[in-house]
Parts: sequence; structure tokens; C-alpha cells
Amino acid sequence: MEEDEFIGEKTFQHYCAEFIKHSQQIGDSWEWRPSKDCSDGYMCKIYFQIKNESVMSHPGASTHGQTCLPMEEAFELPSDDCEVIETAAASKVIKYEYHVLYSCSYQVPVLYFRASFLDGRPLTLKDIWEGVHECYKTRLLQGPWDTITQQEHPILGQPFFVLHPCKTNEFMAPVLKNSRKINKNVNYITSWLSIVGPVVGLNLPLSYAKATSQAERNSD
Amino acid sequence: MTSREHQVSLWNWVPLLRRLLSRPLHALNRYFRSPVSPSKMAEEPQSMLQLPPSGAAGGEGLTEVSPETTTPEPPSSAAVSPGTEEPAGDTKKKIDILLKAVGDTPIMKTKKWAVERTRTIQGLIDFIKKFLKLVASEQLFIYVNQSFAPSPDQEVGTLYECFGSDGKLVLHYCKSQAWG
Repeated sequence: MEEDEFIGEKTFQHYCAEFIKHSQQIGDSWEWRPSKDCSDGYMCKIYFQIKNESVMSHPGASTHGQTCLPMEEAFELPSDDCEVIETAAASKVIKYEYHVLYSCSYQVPVLYFRASFLDGRPLTLKDIWEGVHECYKTRLLQGPWDTITQQEHPILGQPFFVLHPCKTNEFMAPVLKNSRKINKNVNYITSWLSIVGPVVGLNLPLSYAKATSQAERNSD
Repeated sequence: MTSREHQVSLWNWVPLLRRLLSRPLHALNRYFRSPVSPSKMAEEPQSMLQLPPSGAAGGEGLTEVSPETTTPEPPSSAAVSPGTEEPAGDTKKKIDILLKAVGDTPIMKTKKWAVERTRTIQGLIDFIKKFLKLVASEQLFIYVNQSFAPSPDQEVGTLYECFGSDGKLVLHYCKSQAWG
């Protein structure tokens, strides 16, 4: 076990702050939410997505309730679908939530997520997996219960899906060791989220990678 | 009209034939590869790196981009591209990638590859996994800047624009059984 690859809660919060700083610069909608007693908190991102196959329209009919969806680039809007019948778009808009919390027991960040329709109906794990990249699907479908569980959110007390943190150290260790070798500062949260995010349908824009090196250059 | 068209197309072949005959035989294979799929969609499960078949100059991959083995641009499916010189860096369809192993991951014998810009990270991962003969239960991660894992559907061309230097893109790869 590599002691060095664990991070303390203060370090976690520091990395989250740096991460959110960049998120604000690029409009990526991450924000920090303190817990009620403000002793800790978590990072949160919400975005809305229109499910592809269900948003179709006549030509000329208004296709998407775009105006009511202020969130950003996670839209998957159909192109040129002019020949199909209009369906009720509202029920097919999905709200995704990603929360990054600190796990005291594992001393690593943990990714909580959930998705629901606008009317509040939650998506099943199976539905969420449709947004998961092919390369991860096979692995996850083979043994989903080893990796994704449903748990109560430690702060909100609501059910969320959780990407289990027990292997975090394993995939973070080589990255961190490597960067230490070359004396490079790495934002743990950025690295970690870039790895685990795609597994659950969350992709980080490339500029986060540059943000870390930018911060390094500024501090040198 | 028809015969003239035929004449014109025949003449087009002459310079090609001249060039082909002046090259070593194994390099001819480059001209007969199937064209790159124009699709830029995320998943290209069947597409492989356009590697020259075994016996091509430079070994299994486009390794050291040394002057005498400079790869000419393979012609697109229809037209024969005139000129044999490598076009200027920015207009190259392929970019040079240097792959570096991290941690306990096996080191690839060939580290330097020429890869189409439109190849996705996922495509590259699949290729490296096959090359290293990893089992299905092993995950492979690729990093830019030694710390950031791009999305699986990110194109290497874009990564080159953002993170490339000295004419190449350095990518680190790491094997893991993270979700095993």
C-alpha cells in the first residue's frame, strides 16, 4: 500500500478549489457545496441532456426545448431528423448530477452520481450505462456490483450511485509516482476525474489538463 | 470524349508508375491500403493504426522518422497525390506519437508511431492492448501531460494541437486492473 497516494481532506479541498477555478473559467458548471455545518463539502456538477432517440420532430415544428435548458455542452441534439413524429420532449430530458466527495475511510475522492427525468423519476443504472463509453461497458456489465453501488449520499442523505473507491489508489499510484519523479505538480482531482469520469459518462474538457501545467508555470 | 478521358487517366498513371518503380518493393504496400474512414464518430472499433505490414521499412511501425524512410502521404482513395515529398507538418494527415510506459506496464518495442489525426484515444488503447497482448480484464489508460486521461473519443489530432511539441505528441500509458 502506498501511503503517499492518499490525500487528506484539506488537500482534497484545495485540489477541488483549483479545479473549480478552472471550471469557472471555461463555464463547466462545477461548484462547491458546503455541508450544513460547513466543516466539509463536495464538488457538484449538474447538466441536462436530451435523449437522442426520443427527440424527433416534423420539419418546422419546434424540436427542442432548448430555451429551458441553460446548461452546456452535454446536449446531444439530433441532426436533420425531419421525418419522424414529434414526441413529448419534456419527459426525455435527463438531469445528470455528479458529486465529488471525500472518503475518510479510503482517503480518496469518491464519485457519486445520479440521473433523473425532469419529473423526478430516477433513471436506473441500466439507463445510465447507455451513456457509458463502449470500452468501459463490457467491464462494468460483467461485474457491475463490484464497481458501482447505490448508497446514501453522506451529506444529502439521498440515494446515489457510487463508483467504488477501493481501487482508486491502484490506478492513481502510477500516475502520481511518475509525476513526482519528474517533479511535476498534479491536481489529484483533475487526474482522478479524468480517469473515472468517462466510466460513468462524464468527460472532462482538455483544457483541464492544460490548467494544471499553466498553474505550474505561474508558480515557478 | 470518352477516349480522351481514357487518355487523360492513362497519363495520370505514368508518373505514378515511375514513382512506384523507383521505390523499394515493400513501400508499395502503402499505396494499396484501404482509405481512412471519413467518419469522425467516437467509436471506431475496427479501425487500426495505419501501420505498414510486416517487412516494411522501419520494422513494425513508423519508428524513427529518419530522412531516408520518410513516409510519403498515402494517396486518398480516388486521386493519386502528386509529389513525393512529405507535406509541411501542419497539413500532415498523420501525427507522430511517442508512447511511454508508466509503472509496471510492459514497454512497447516500438515506441514511436505515425497515427492519423482522426484516430481516437479508444482506438489507440485497443491497439496498444493488442500489441501488448493484454487480457480482457486489464484496463489501459492513456495520459497526456503525464497526468490527464483524455476521453476515449478524443481525437489524437486534437491532442497533438494542444499538447504536442517538437513535432510529436508524448502519451503515457498505464495498465491497471482498476475495475477487476
